[in-house]
Amino acid sequence: MAEALLEVENVSKSFPGVQALDAVSFELRKGEVHALVGENGAGKSTLMKILSGVYRPDSGRIVYKGREVRFQNARESAEAGIGIIYQELNLVPHLTVAQNIYIGREPRSVLGYIDDRKMNVDAARILRELNVDIDPAIKLNKLSISKQQMVEIAKALSKDSEVLIMDEPTSALTETEIDELFKVIHRLRTRGVGIIYISHRLDELRHIVDRITVFRDGRYISTSDYASITMDELIDKMVGRKLENMFPVRRNAPTARKLLEVRNIVHGKALKGISFDLYEGEILGIAGLMGAGRSELARAVFGADPRDSGDIIREGRKLDIRSPADAIRNGIAYLSENRKEEGLAVKMRLDQNVTMANLPEVSRRFGIISGARELEATRTYVEELDIRTPSLLQVINNLSGGNQQKVVIAKWLFRDSRILIFDEPTRGIDVGAKYAIYELIERLAREGVGVIFISSELPEIIGMTDRVLVLHEGRLTATLRTADTSQEEILNYAAGLGAPGSSGAGTEAAR
Amino acid sequence: MKGSSMSNEIAQEPAIAAKDEAPAGIGRKKFALDRFVIFGAFVVLFILFSVVAKNFFTMRNVLTLALQTSTVTLMGIGVTFTIITGGIDLSIGSVIALTGTVAVIAANAGMPIWLSMVMGLVSGIICGFLNGIMVTGLRIPPFIATLGMMMVARGFVLTITNAMSKPAPDAFGHLGNDTLFRLSSKFPGIGYPVFIMIAVAIVFGFFLRKTRIGRYTYAVGSNEEASRLSGIKVSRIKVIAYSISGFCAALAGIILASRMVTSQPNGGISYELNAIAASVIGGTSLMGGIGTVAGAVVGSFIIGVLGVGLTMSGASFFVQQIAIGLVVIGSVSIDQIRYKKK
Repeated sequence: MAEALLEVENVSKSFPGVQALDAVSFELRKGEVHALVGENGAGKSTLMKILSGVYRPDSGRIVYKGREVRFQNARESAEAGIGIIYQELNLVPHLTVAQNIYIGREPRSVLGYIDDRKMNVDAARILRELNVDIDPAIKLNKLSISKQQMVEIAKALSKDSEVLIMDEPTSALTETEIDELFKVIHRLRTRGVGIIYISHRLDELRHIVDRITVFRDGRYISTSDYASITMDELIDKMVGRKLENMFPVRRNAPTARKLLEVRNIVHGKALKGISFDLYEGEILGIAGLMGAGRSELARAVFGADPRDSGDIIREGRKLDIRSPADAIRNGIAYLSENRKEEGLAVKMRLDQNVTMANLPEVSRRFGIISGARELEATRTYVEELDIRTPSLLQVINNLSGGNQQKVVIAKWLFRDSRILIFDEPTRGIDVGAKYAIYELIERLAREGVGVIFISSELPEIIGMTDRVLVLHEGRLTATLRTADTSQEEILNYAAGLGAPGSSGAGTEAAR
Repeated sequence: MKGSSMSNEIAQEPAIAAKDEAPAGIGRKKFALDRFVIFGAFVVLFILFSVVAKNFFTMRNVLTLALQTSTVTLMGIGVTFTIITGGIDLSIGSVIALTGTVAVIAANAGMPIWLSMVMGLVSGIICGFLNGIMVTGLRIPPFIATLGMMMVARGFVLTITNAMSKPAPDAFGHLGNDTLFRLSSKFPGIGYPVFIMIAVAIVFGFFLRKTRIGRYTYAVGSNEEASRLSGIKVSRIKVIAYSISGFCAALAGIILASRMVTSQPNGGISYELNAIAASVIGGTSLMGGIGTVAGAVVGSFIIGVLGVGLTMSGASFFVQQIAIGLVVIGSVSIDQIRYKKK
């Protein structure tokens, strides 16, 4: 057995009103990928922040390389060799890759100015070690998200990190990019780096994880070898109750009534003439790799982006959709994949967010808002969707991801939307909250809403939808009945390979 | 005024099962506290000067203070709208000169006084509207668009007047110099501008807090893309905000011209900075999404009290500048420290 690199012993941390960590323990060995899982509020982030020196523990000790350490700030932990890669990348878009890697500790020349040449050479060496093909002199914003993540990893390694903490590193990556990341993780592991890997995507852990530790409600639950635990056991431990199924049972079938017909949508190179129908009570999945045009399609239908051509027909009538306001007026709603950037006014209150898309409903004459009616509407949805909040007047910033997502859903339900487009609705949301979102979507479909469900997690697509559209580079490569398809088939079409077994690329498959 | 309505809201806060999010509720009470702190600072300053400067706390002086502060207050209320949307309005100092001058020229040309003043108001709204169009239609950053407007409006008013002040008809001076409730020389009455200021504060305070457009103003400043995707017509809201700023500046400009009974093509220089300072002292965030009319009013009065109080204590105008500057920096740093602690 490899030696212990980092040991957390009985660490507690409380904030006013909350015991965030209650005597938890955790051990990381050299050359190990150790997953830390748990629902939101389990205490994962708090522990990470303690390890990276942002918070100090109330009690307990941290032993790093055999010595007890007390980090006073983030710099100390970084210097000791603990690198952390946050879910949101901390990079400067307008600087080059090398400048980002060496930011704050640029190599100086004899005269004291920055030695760009040395910086680029050093950066190139680190990137080569990672076996990634990135030009250190290129501006960061020219890179894809996954490449940027590699830069973040390179930055951590350039500080000779022996412990690397990764918080949801795959949430913005496509399948192929995830493979790339995993290769890098494997390489780091053989070099003896210890990696703490935090993820909500339990299915991906099997590719890389050696051991797995579960936290729940700030407590340590268990540590096991990944090979010796089943997915069901794992989920039981995380939620503390048995989740019979990952997905709710679909209790209705779509009717024959078409809610929406989309014909030949074209938008630059992103969408090359896509047509589909959406039926009443249907959950229609959209699958595809990153860059396939999933979000672009949704945004074009919603009027968030302009479209070059194509018709959107609602119940036989051609709609003139040129802005989100037009789409909303016709009962179409879009829940963006970027909740905080595009879905919520985070500085505003819960009630104000719920009513944001339908203020006239809670207004009296002359556009004056009735606070009482606003609260009443908000209370209805807080109860109906089980939004966990201390108050209806809570500022959105302070709610957890799952609850924020529910607020966005509440906003559109309050607007009486008949067509809801969910773009990655469960991204960054923990298992329990995910199930609640699934149930909600299922219920909407049962009530006759047409749901478009965009996801990069295929199990979700398989588990939730009635039919699935598969996109590849802006084209519709297949429309499949979910009951008759498989992840493998969808992946084939998504990769532009056509039906499994057939050799031709980009074969069109009819419904 | 603000403080009491805040506590009302807290009292009504419905209790929803608070399980995992317990610490989050604290932020809101702190927010209310911040408001209280600003108002408290104003009261402390007021008492301080009453003690230090002999004639500070006299009815006459307080009335003069209110009268003098009305200009900054009006501008501060207007500019708060633009700042909440995430913008800024640097043109209002020039707009003051332009609108007052337009009104005086119109009055001198024989128009009825009220109509000449309406002309002034319209010219201010047009300036604000154009600012809004530049910011939304042409996508010029607000700082640049309104900086341009500041120069253009100033140059325009200097050109049409040859940079000369012109007297206005006597009747033009009523608005700025007449008072209501005049009892004796001890209580010389409350000037019309004070009533205008109070009316504007109430109307726009209500507008911002209670109407849809007011709510959208916050939404746009809090998250423009989310607002757009919620069907809010972002451009329209911004144009309205800049037009309100222009309108408020125009009111201030007409009051100023009326008080002097002359056009002031050189007046109002750097007033916009006082107005922005007032708004910021009152808790408006330059990042957008946060701010209130009540805050802008209190902020203006802090600046006003500092100015008058220091003058009466014998400090020079230059010292006043230092004091106001320190208050701006101080009030924002207190906000920042509080914010960080959270």
